[in-house]
Amino acid sequence: MRQEFYKTLMSPVWLVILVLAAVLPPLLPSYYLHIVILSLVYVALASAWNIVGGMAGQISLAHSLFIGTGAMLSTALLLKLGVNMWLGLVISAVISGAMGAMIAWIDFRFQLGHLSFVLITLAFAEMGTVIVEGWDFLGGASGLLLPQDKGDFLAFQFGGGIGAFWVMLVLAIASILINVAILNAPLGYYLRTIRDNENAARAIGVNILRYKVAAMVISAMLSSVIGTAYVRYLTFADPYLLVSPIIIIEIVLFATVGGLGRAYGPAFGALLLVPLGEILRGKLGGTLPGLHYFIYGVVVIAVILMSPRGLLPLFEKWFSRARPKAATTK
Amino acid sequence: MAEFLQALAQGLLIGSTYGLLALGMGLVYGVSGVVNFSHGDFISLGMFLCLALYSALALDPYVSLVITVPLMTVIGGLVYWYLLRPMVGHQFLMVVQLTLGLSLVLQNGILMVFGGQPARTPSVVESKLLILGDVVVRVPHVIAFVVSFAMAIGLYIMLRSTDFGRSIRAVHQNAHAAALMGIDVSRVQTLTFALGIGILAIAAALLLPGTPIQPAQGLRYTVITLIVVALGGMTNFVGIMLGGLIIGLSEAYGTIYLSDTLGMLLPYGIFVLIMLFRPQGLTWSSSR
Repeated sequence: MRQEFYKTLMSPVWLVILVLAAVLPPLLPSYYLHIVILSLVYVALASAWNIVGGMAGQISLAHSLFIGTGAMLSTALLLKLGVNMWLGLVISAVISGAMGAMIAWIDFRFQLGHLSFVLITLAFAEMGTVIVEGWDFLGGASGLLLPQDKGDFLAFQFGGGIGAFWVMLVLAIASILINVAILNAPLGYYLRTIRDNENAARAIGVNILRYKVAAMVISAMLSSVIGTAYVRYLTFADPYLLVSPIIIIEIVLFATVGGLGRAYGPAFGALLLVPLGEILRGKLGGTLPGLHYFIYGVVVIAVILMSPRGLLPLFEKWFSRARPKAATTK
Repeated sequence: MAEFLQALAQGLLIGSTYGLLALGMGLVYGVSGVVNFSHGDFISLGMFLCLALYSALALDPYVSLVITVPLMTVIGGLVYWYLLRPMVGHQFLMVVQLTLGLSLVLQNGILMVFGGQPARTPSVVESKLLILGDVVVRVPHVIAFVVSFAMAIGLYIMLRSTDFGRSIRAVHQNAHAAALMGIDVSRVQTLTFALGIGILAIAAALLLPGTPIQPAQGLRYTVITLIVVALGGMTNFVGIMLGGLIIGLSEAYGTIYLSDTLGMLLPYGIFVLIMLFRPQGLTWSSSR
């Protein structure tokens, strides 16, 4: 089981990514660097969500709470109480983990069905938005502005562009590797058993509560940490961006379009759709408001109609079909 | 006491329209298992169509219904036939994502045509008031209340005693058996979706007088509708109308007796509690 994970870890692909990461960012214009960073943020978030949504099959829309806690709480702690942002990151992650454990417990205790779980987590997400908007400590509706990024590492500052790129790259890769590790560890097998047939899992003695809580806590803490790093890059903690249900709906979209429950599926979806959305916004945003989202929506619908199981499985199918042909022609 | 009665009237009147919004979604879910996340954007579409008809022909929203209802019904039918029908049998979440894509298209299509500024559509009854003792209610709310309940009763009778209604119930109970009985399941699902969107056109006109509208409002309506449908249970028309009234009342009382924030939290809090402690009201809690 562990071998798979080490094999992934030793893959030469990482070396390629490392070289690209060292060479490319300084050459990119800042606009394209921004798109790359944004894509990495969503790769990390979609992969973190995948632990719960893909592997355990619990479509949680409450993740905006964890991202929002990581972003708004750590910012508020720094600005209002002078707490170092590293400590704020840890505090936010712990609180997010506790909220995640609570949601997983509610799901277990009340035996929620799929749809009930979606709706209850959506209600939690909406409640989070209302609370942040109404609570001045967290910035209320107007949000919070972080001090300028001077590159002081001890104060959780990474020096803008390139620094943020490295932080996000590390988080994205960590998030994907955690996915690979869980998929190949006993936890991953338990989660998939629970997803595919909860009663059967219970019958063979899988401790459902323990694994549901474990998955949710890992996913929640990871989302919170990414949230803190994201807000440091954005500098402005905007509740309408970071705590709204829209951010989680987008994440679920990337994960689903890419391929749910696979280690690389969500990352694939995010890498495809985020740049598409941003480039459409850049090219068309100025001409007619709404046009870029309109096209984006059409693309999403087309992609889903084309490959209802996600894009990654579709590509794998093409790839495996194309390979034998190539072998015979040689 | 006057405050209490005022909130009661307000909550009941608004809640009835929430119930009507939810009936369409409940009907569609019952027949085809689709949870339509673009529901709220179809409401927006209905409202903006009324606005367009007012700007072009100076039609009152209530009169516009003659045009918007058939138009939205046709749009609904086309959407189901060409977009949702091919997804039958695929993952529940994929269908949800597709309707989210549709929501983007609708919302931004509206934004492209009408711009992002909040708009109002006047109606002759907009500012008329009805005074009953201490309670003052707005006439559009009374119209909404009466029409919503009339529609609910009409739908109930249609489901009970027409052939179309019987085929809807048959597909809801067991699509496979219904197909064996010679019912064209796809056709029934398409017509039901069209009917659901047509109902939204009516609900949109009922909500419109006095309400500022903007393209980004769709998600909020979707969430309210989802909550009401979930509260009411799927096929239970009485339950759905009741769910609408509960949400309407909790909004009205919450904003009067609690702070703004707590008032806005109240409907969600009530929803979560009911979902947790009275799941037997939900037909889908058993079909996990």
